[in-house]
Amino acid sequence: MHIPDGYLSPSTCAVLYVGAGAGWYSALKRLKRVLLGRVIPLISVFAAFSFVVMMFNLPLPGGTTGHALGVTIAAIVLGPSGAILALSIAIAIQALFFGDGGISTLGANCFNMAVVGSLVAYASYRLMAAGAALTSRRRVVAAAIAGYLAVNAAALLAAVEFGIQPLLFHDANGTPLYAPYRLGVAIPAMMIGHLTFAGLAEAVISAGLVAYLQVADPALLRTTSGVPDDKAEAITAGGTAARSLQTLWIAIAALMLLTPLGILAAGTAWGEWSPLELARVQHVNSPPSVPAGLQRLSNLWTAPFPAYAPSFVRSRGFGYLLSAMFGVGFLLAVSLLLRLLLQRHRRGEYSS
Amino acid sequence: MKRGFLEATTMGFARALTRAMLSEQIARQRGLLQSLDPRVRLFGLFLLVLAVTLSRKMTVVAALFALALAIALLSRVRIATLATRVWLVVLAFTGVIAFPAIFVTPGHPVAVLGPLTITEQGLRTAALLILRVEAAVTFTTLLVLCTQWTHVLKALRALRLPKEAITMLAMTHRYVFLLVETASQMFESRRSRTVGLLKPAEQRHMAARTAGVLLSKSVSLSNEVYLAMQSRGFRGDVQVLSDFRLTMWDYCGLLLFLLAGAIAVWMGR
Amino acid sequence: MPPLFELRDVCFNYDDIPALRGLSLAIAQGERVALVGANGSGKSTLLRLLDALCFASQGSVNFDGHPLTAEYLADDQFAFAFRRRVALVFQNPDVQLFNPTVFDEVAFAPLQLQWPKEQVLARVSATLELMGIAHLRDRPPYRLSGGEKKRVALASVLVIDPDVLLLDEPTATLDPRSQSHVIDLIQEWKGSSKTVITATHQLEIVEDIADRVLVLEAGTVAASGTPAEILANHDLLLRANLVHAHRHSHGGVVHSHPHIHSHSKHEH
Repeated sequence: MHIPDGYLSPSTCAVLYVGAGAGWYSALKRLKRVLLGRVIPLISVFAAFSFVVMMFNLPLPGGTTGHALGVTIAAIVLGPSGAILALSIAIAIQALFFGDGGISTLGANCFNMAVVGSLVAYASYRLMAAGAALTSRRRVVAAAIAGYLAVNAAALLAAVEFGIQPLLFHDANGTPLYAPYRLGVAIPAMMIGHLTFAGLAEAVISAGLVAYLQVADPALLRTTSGVPDDKAEAITAGGTAARSLQTLWIAIAALMLLTPLGILAAGTAWGEWSPLELARVQHVNSPPSVPAGLQRLSNLWTAPFPAYAPSFVRSRGFGYLLSAMFGVGFLLAVSLLLRLLLQRHRRGEYSS
Repeated sequence: MKRGFLEATTMGFARALTRAMLSEQIARQRGLLQSLDPRVRLFGLFLLVLAVTLSRKMTVVAALFALALAIALLSRVRIATLATRVWLVVLAFTGVIAFPAIFVTPGHPVAVLGPLTITEQGLRTAALLILRVEAAVTFTTLLVLCTQWTHVLKALRALRLPKEAITMLAMTHRYVFLLVETASQMFESRRSRTVGLLKPAEQRHMAARTAGVLLSKSVSLSNEVYLAMQSRGFRGDVQVLSDFRLTMWDYCGLLLFLLAGAIAVWMGR
Repeated sequence: MPPLFELRDVCFNYDDIPALRGLSLAIAQGERVALVGANGSGKSTLLRLLDALCFASQGSVNFDGHPLTAEYLADDQFAFAFRRRVALVFQNPDVQLFNPTVFDEVAFAPLQLQWPKEQVLARVSATLELMGIAHLRDRPPYRLSGGEKKRVALASVLVIDPDVLLLDEPTATLDPRSQSHVIDLIQEWKGSSKTVITATHQLEIVEDIADRVLVLEAGTVAASGTPAEILANHDLLLRANLVHAHRHSHGGVVHSHPHIHSHSKHEH
């Protein structure tokens, strides 16, 4: 899932650097407020651990192998802030020291896997393991599902980033300049691999690790257990991590919800690559014609923008970008909502 | 031959270590990139990667690729190293990804193969993607091969990244090697007790267990490291030395990088 | 003159498991002390307590007349003064070496103590020369041998020229040549104003490194005396698990005697 240099346009990279930067900034700020001194060696060694786990060649059911990301266990042990930094550092070392994964796409990779991956893993684990005892079986299952979701959320983001490239960046001739596949191809192509291998690998290792820690070192599970306990402070002073990143969550979700409802699911846009469509497209002079359904929808969403808005706002590519962001925003908003519900639920638990 | 989890992962470790050793060796040689200040190196090569991604013309990307080759030769990076480590790998990976684009990209048809039609735009986009990725990854690899890790860190410091972030990068890198060694030893002792291939379920169990032991060790290691840092006066605020001075030569290098980048961006508009 | 370190009835627990139970001792400035004891006798914990890395849950620890408490160490001024005077070399050099290169490692302490840059550079170079590791200056820690790591670890604290050196198993897991190098170094400090407190379970080195031996057993001081006195007391050493009775026969006569050397070097 590491996006190499050259697949994404510089502007996409820049946007994602900003996105990752927001994650790093709020994570660092949060940890600084607690006790950065203690956290520096913890996150560093944990990043090294994630790095090593990424190299594990895990055998999967069905006879294949896959690589895990290690983001889920990081989120479970360190909380989201720590996980964002640990994973980002591991990814940065892969890029800067081993030359795996790009430099220009470092922001994108960190945003997808470290920032969003950590947040999704953390939120879904907390949600599913809420109220469970430290050694409960439910935590193992929750870790597996959280891992599966986190990796697939990161892959979906990467697929969306790939998928918007040909729409936004092509030359006068209609030749895509970067990743050539549109959303309709990029998303299924990316997701098939991740819904099976990578997601499973992460699920297997996350569940296995939680099960191991429950027996060998349950203290490490305490930070994000949601069980109020003084010792939870011992690891990352992670008590605040529960409340942490709320602002970041809300900002991301709000940003994405601002975008109108999506073209993502629009029939023609998706079916653009079917043989039938292709046969039709071949007879059309370039640049390829705009599918009618897409045209209609793009009119729909550009409508709210006033006529004096900059022209790019009305462009088709921008519409795709926004709708893709909406898709992700929707996911995040749902998680946020669930979290809020969960918190209310827990508050009720404690007061009773 | 089908390899088990132990073998495959151990091989991955060995490959990573060999790479690290190779980088260190090349970074110590005398060559063009090695002679420049690491900040200039990092900035310059990043600029060229940017130029590669900014360019809209295949000829310009090809020219940048040629420039990468020239820099590699002047920095005493062996072409064979680049070929095996970068070009073939990229070709295999990106080639597979780019190949279907030949058929599915809408545009002028140039040839029909049964139900599939090759389009001009498809050919161009596939070629452009491969060339672009090859050129960009070559620049990145040159940076990695010709720069000692400590110099990368110092150069990042010049980018005004928070010093905590740099300290964490440095420590992570340091402990990656320790943890790889620890994991290898665990695998080694496990392998000496294992006859034949384990069943996948057993392998998964072992992988999780190994990772679990490694995780516990990592956390207690980090506790100890923190004590060792405190013992030597660490108060939560990292203090570092910065002893870089740019020479005339560095400014020349910087100028050349800027010039090459600017020309490429302008030509590739 | 009051003792440099004075501990009274000190207790310390790790997660409800007691490590020190009512330990009292006094160490004068310039003394060379060996702390001997089996694994789990509290040696490492005691060293950490003396280095103010953890704090007594009961009892008092005084350093140079000041109580060593978390509050005392929270003050930057006190903390820097204390760190400048007292240094600990950890048993595991991988813990001690967390910097990217040997140079950075040795420069870490003076930089944290905010010495001026020129002084840092000069002191680091001098220390690297002194320890015979100048050629390793730019090496990353993963490319050092065990003996080299130990030297770097020692250099990383000697660079600030501390008054008190706390050494945790400085010779364990070292090859004989590196061992004797470390012992020579400790011997050189004899008669200087440096206080050297060494935790070890290798009884064969205590005569070289200490003027006084404290035997630790289950978190308290079981005995104190000169190396000769302690090494002669076989019952004590047996009880403290520092030697083991070894039965063997000589021409049909079975007898047992204690062995005064560590297991790692035990050959028969």
